[in-house]
Amino acid sequence: MIKGIKHLARRVGGIKNLILILLATLLGLTLLLDIFVVERIFDPLGYLYLTLGIVFLLYVAWPLYHSRRLVQYYWQRVKRNRLAVLGLAFILFLILLAIFGPLFTTDPTAANFEQKNLPPVGFTTSESIYNPQTGQFITKVISGTWEHPLGTDNKGRDLLAMIISGARVSLQVGLLATGIAVALGTLIGVISAYLGGKMDNILMRFTDIMMTFPFFLLLVFIVFIFGPSLAFIVLVIGLTGWTGVARLIRSEALSLRTREFVLAAKALGASDGRIILAHLVPNVISLIIVIATLSIPGVIMAEAALSFIGLGDPAVTSWGMVLRAGQQSLDTAWWVAVAPGVMLFFTVLAFNFVGDGLRDAFDPRSSV
Amino acid sequence: MKEAILKIRNLKVYFFTRRGIVKAVDGVSFDLVKGECLCLVGESGCGKTVTALSILGLVDSPPGRIVGGEILYDGLDLTRCSAEKLRHIRGKDIAMIFQDAQSALNPVFTIGDQIVEQIRLHLELSQSEARGRAIDLLKEVGIPSPEEVASYYPHQLSGGMKQRAMIAMSLSCNPRLLIADEPTTAVDVTIKAQIIDVFRQLKETRKMSLLFITHELGIVSEIGDRIVVMYAGRVVETALAPELLGSPKHPYTSGLINCLPDIRQERGRLESIPGTVPSLINPPGGCLFHPRCDKAMAICRKKQPPPVSVNHGHTVFCHLY
Amino acid sequence: MLKRRLLEVENLKKYYLVTGGLLYRHIGDIKAVDGVSFYIREGETLGLVGESGCGKSTLGRTILRLEEPTEGKIIYRRTDITKLDMRELRGLRKEIQIIFQDPQSSLDPRMTVGQSIGEALLIHGVKDDRERGQRVSDMLQRVGLEAGQALHYPHEFSSGQRQRVGIARALAPSPRLIIADEPVSALDVSIQAQILNLMLDLRQEFSLAYLFIAHDLSVIRQVSHRVAVMYLGRIVELAGTEEIFINALHPYTEALVSAIPSLRRRRARILLPGNVPSPLNPPPGCRFHTRCHRVLPICHQAEPHLKDVGNRHLVACHLHGV
Repeated sequence: MIKGIKHLARRVGGIKNLILILLATLLGLTLLLDIFVVERIFDPLGYLYLTLGIVFLLYVAWPLYHSRRLVQYYWQRVKRNRLAVLGLAFILFLILLAIFGPLFTTDPTAANFEQKNLPPVGFTTSESIYNPQTGQFITKVISGTWEHPLGTDNKGRDLLAMIISGARVSLQVGLLATGIAVALGTLIGVISAYLGGKMDNILMRFTDIMMTFPFFLLLVFIVFIFGPSLAFIVLVIGLTGWTGVARLIRSEALSLRTREFVLAAKALGASDGRIILAHLVPNVISLIIVIATLSIPGVIMAEAALSFIGLGDPAVTSWGMVLRAGQQSLDTAWWVAVAPGVMLFFTVLAFNFVGDGLRDAFDPRSSV
Repeated sequence: MKEAILKIRNLKVYFFTRRGIVKAVDGVSFDLVKGECLCLVGESGCGKTVTALSILGLVDSPPGRIVGGEILYDGLDLTRCSAEKLRHIRGKDIAMIFQDAQSALNPVFTIGDQIVEQIRLHLELSQSEARGRAIDLLKEVGIPSPEEVASYYPHQLSGGMKQRAMIAMSLSCNPRLLIADEPTTAVDVTIKAQIIDVFRQLKETRKMSLLFITHELGIVSEIGDRIVVMYAGRVVETALAPELLGSPKHPYTSGLINCLPDIRQERGRLESIPGTVPSLINPPGGCLFHPRCDKAMAICRKKQPPPVSVNHGHTVFCHLY
Repeated sequence: MLKRRLLEVENLKKYYLVTGGLLYRHIGDIKAVDGVSFYIREGETLGLVGESGCGKSTLGRTILRLEEPTEGKIIYRRTDITKLDMRELRGLRKEIQIIFQDPQSSLDPRMTVGQSIGEALLIHGVKDDRERGQRVSDMLQRVGLEAGQALHYPHEFSSGQRQRVGIARALAPSPRLIIADEPVSALDVSIQAQILNLMLDLRQEFSLAYLFIAHDLSVIRQVSHRVAVMYLGRIVELAGTEEIFINALHPYTEALVSAIPSLRRRRARILLPGNVPSPLNPPPGCRFHTRCHRVLPICHQAEPHLKDVGNRHLVACHLHGV
């Protein structure tokens, strides 16, 4: 039995590939069941998660575990960059917020008109109320309560809950869409670089065409036909954002291809496949990690922008949506716009710091 | 006794890095007499390049710093000079040639333009005068058809020509002292011979003082008058060239000479020095060479060897003497 | 008793196409290797010397078919390897290996040295992890490193140690012939001596043949049985080591030998004027005639071929043996 498995593994190029094929088939079957037979087992976003999760575990986490010493070496270098460490701390905080936050807060979509426009804790606003009996305006002071620590919007929805939900959305979209874009871009970039010649040309022209593709228009189109959904947003961003990655990876792989250790591997008799998987890919992984980290803020902003103009998924509260709500009541309830704005600002900053820190750590020439 | 144009006394240059203090140069002293060619010899990491760079104040300053000693040029201590004064001296009094001609020449300017720029930076000459001088310099270093070559870009020249062009550039303001950092290392054997010849001629015709840094002992024997051997940031031996090569006293020097595959030697195994250069952050105590020395004694582990004069002009830093 | 010939190269050529213009037309060839023939016997070391641009590195790589030859035959133990397909070539990779000049760039920085050395074994059938690990440890010790260092990455070693790893990697598949492409040029003198000694010891122990490519004649002299001198893609002289140094016949060899800076002053240095011509446009007649200090009128017109002038000394020069 073991022998049979080993043999099969060798045929498909490694045990990892075998596991990938198995799990992919399983997922595919589940998907089919989902569409045709049973009620929703997973929602579309869930499928994306699972796929990406599997690919990540097999092709990123597992190899990293194998080269623990190397990972430790780079981690030491990253640690020395204060800003990167701060950024990492913030991201960690965000992740914890996204995962555990909902346990402690109410439903972000619960409108409660009685409590609309409450300011955050420690702030007070005043409201003029016309008393029809006395014919005068009375100034009523409203102060924030701990029940709604960040206040409420003009529909009485708890801002803190909305922010937490937004964190969740941003992280999901950020990770998933970037994951898709990077995976696709890397595949195309590495293959294009290694095969060279005509294939390289074809793939790159294809990339050029995709690059000019108006992703925004595509999104509007999809929303128009299928209705807005987070899964679609993620897919569209991912499927149109891989082009930049492909170019960068390709140029790095091109320069690697002529490096002596690739020649040495050829001299040892390594096949093309082995050279790509065992030599080229591990050497571009550091670049991939940096590109991915620096792409996430762009993706998050893209999603925020889409939600802001109303193309987002209405079932999900994202920061862009909160911004949209806050835009209208800037004079009466400024906190509604400020909260998501501040969160977006720091999130983008955090990922940029971490990305820069990683890039410096991986660069052998920088004296970290 | 001819006077010294350059006197280095107990120079210490340390690099302050995260991993510790790298004692790149740790108490180096030597004199360079006017008109002579002094060769600074040693393997990679021995501190010879850092010594040369610190003469002109070119050591990378955040990690590196001159922490002690003096560099006396004509009585002026260069370690205590202002940056302004150093800039005046660089190029005009003391010029430096680096190892890689390729990266020292600006690829977007012609050779002629670069030399002219150098000239006009320090001397008050008109464009045409400077140009004429540039062509003379190119001729002096043995470049054929200098008028034509002056209008070439660096990429149009071969390795040897680029090297010569760089030498011409360094001579543009008639420096009194020329520092050459491994000018023959990155070149082919036949070009090496040509370049050494250029230096030899220059030394004769211009009566220039030359500080020649190299790790190739063979080159040293061709062009050096005196030799200073460095190891791990310290001087281990100083002598006149024929004396040092003929009867080396320090075990490192003799080890180095013996492991050269010389053309006269019999085929077969070479003598080699076992081990590797010690870490400059955590150097071994006493004499830095003792872990690799086959003649090491107990005292070598504890005390740094003081200079001993074994012959006229021949100084060794070794407990054997 | 002469050992049999392991490698025989016949009229090997490697041209690089130069294209120009909008339509990528073929406008010329860079004749990196232009008709080279020689042989190496079992256990023998042939030194290949020449300056940069003479094609020696290209020759080394073409023999391994890391570059595809344009013309000519490479016969390894009676098989013409220019005719093999990829799969058959893989088997050959076991027998002929290569050591590169720069130990830093020839090792994959993301693989441990154990993995780099073990890769050769993995490709050639040693699938069992434990056996591979054992052989990697053996190899490391054989080249003077410690078995425990197999888990370290290239950046944790000094350049001398990295070159030892490179040698271990080349030895791992138990080859018969190793092409050493300037293996000590990037190293300090004292480390150079150590590595050369190591290569000599290994040659003894494993009966290896070397094609030792270098530009330093004194290093070549130390390790070679015979020496071939290359200029602009051709071999201009080939003879036993001592013969070449004592009795250099080709003017280029003479110049090379005299150019070696030596600790003891000897005969006057012959300075070659000018530069090496471009391989895109080699001079007519004898390629060396533009810089030769003993040029004859015939050298401008007719190209001399390698001729045996006695004592198994081959020269391509109009001054000798024509």
